[in-house]
Amino acid sequence: METEILRALADPTRRAVFERLAVGEMSVGALKANFAISQPAISQHLAQLRKAGLVAERRSGRNTYYVAKPDGLDPLLSWLDRYSAFWPQKIERLKTILKGMDQ
Amino acid sequence: MSEDHRKDKAHSRSVAFECDLPEPVEKVWRALTTREIVSEWLLPTDLKPEKGARFTLSEPAKEPIDCEIISIEEQRFIRFGWRDAEARRDGLSSTVTFEIAATESGGTRLTIVHEVRYAARPARAPATACLASNDNAAAGLRLAA
Repeated sequence: METEILRALADPTRRAVFERLAVGEMSVGALKANFAISQPAISQHLAQLRKAGLVAERRSGRNTYYVAKPDGLDPLLSWLDRYSAFWPQKIERLKTILKGMDQ
Repeated sequence: MSEDHRKDKAHSRSVAFECDLPEPVEKVWRALTTREIVSEWLLPTDLKPEKGARFTLSEPAKEPIDCEIISIEEQRFIRFGWRDAEARRDGLSSTVTFEIAATESGGTRLTIVHEVRYAARPARAPATACLASNDNAAAGLRLAA
């Protein structure tokens, strides 16, 4: 989860798109004008951001609007990722220490 | 083997691990509550196994983790508040619970639950400000039984 978020934000253009969408909702056309890059490139960036759970889309008529999800960078999730890796290591260490302890 | 169960509740999340150890409960309890032994397997600490006792866990090249024992019952469970540098920065509050129980084979089943939630106070609040909310967090655990 966290790796995907970091990967999505590693690209400077994608990060700029995310930061722009954190300010407010925008269509692909408006984003294209803001960032002076091609529509396929914008769509590619948006797909990556959506996959990482950082951006949501809303369809209205012929237009699709995008907005940053406020909880996309949830500190609780990065906490869970950290401690999901932390405890198994500590448990293995505890098992080793227990074997070496006196009764 | 240990397992990782993630639970999502309204305002808190947790990771839980369970494992069966061949050693008896008394020995596992010593490993969980003796300062010198905890310093060897978890992190260097000045732990004191008494309710209300404050201590720190020192991670290499990191700010210390501030802890305070919320509840403890000899050879059953120990629960403490756990605030690392990220928690202080992001306004999070967490509790760690170690629960142990004897198994039929004379060994010990160890359950570790680490629950995290947003502290009621803002991120810049003193480290002690969130400890009161930890009791609510812990109330959701089946240890209450």
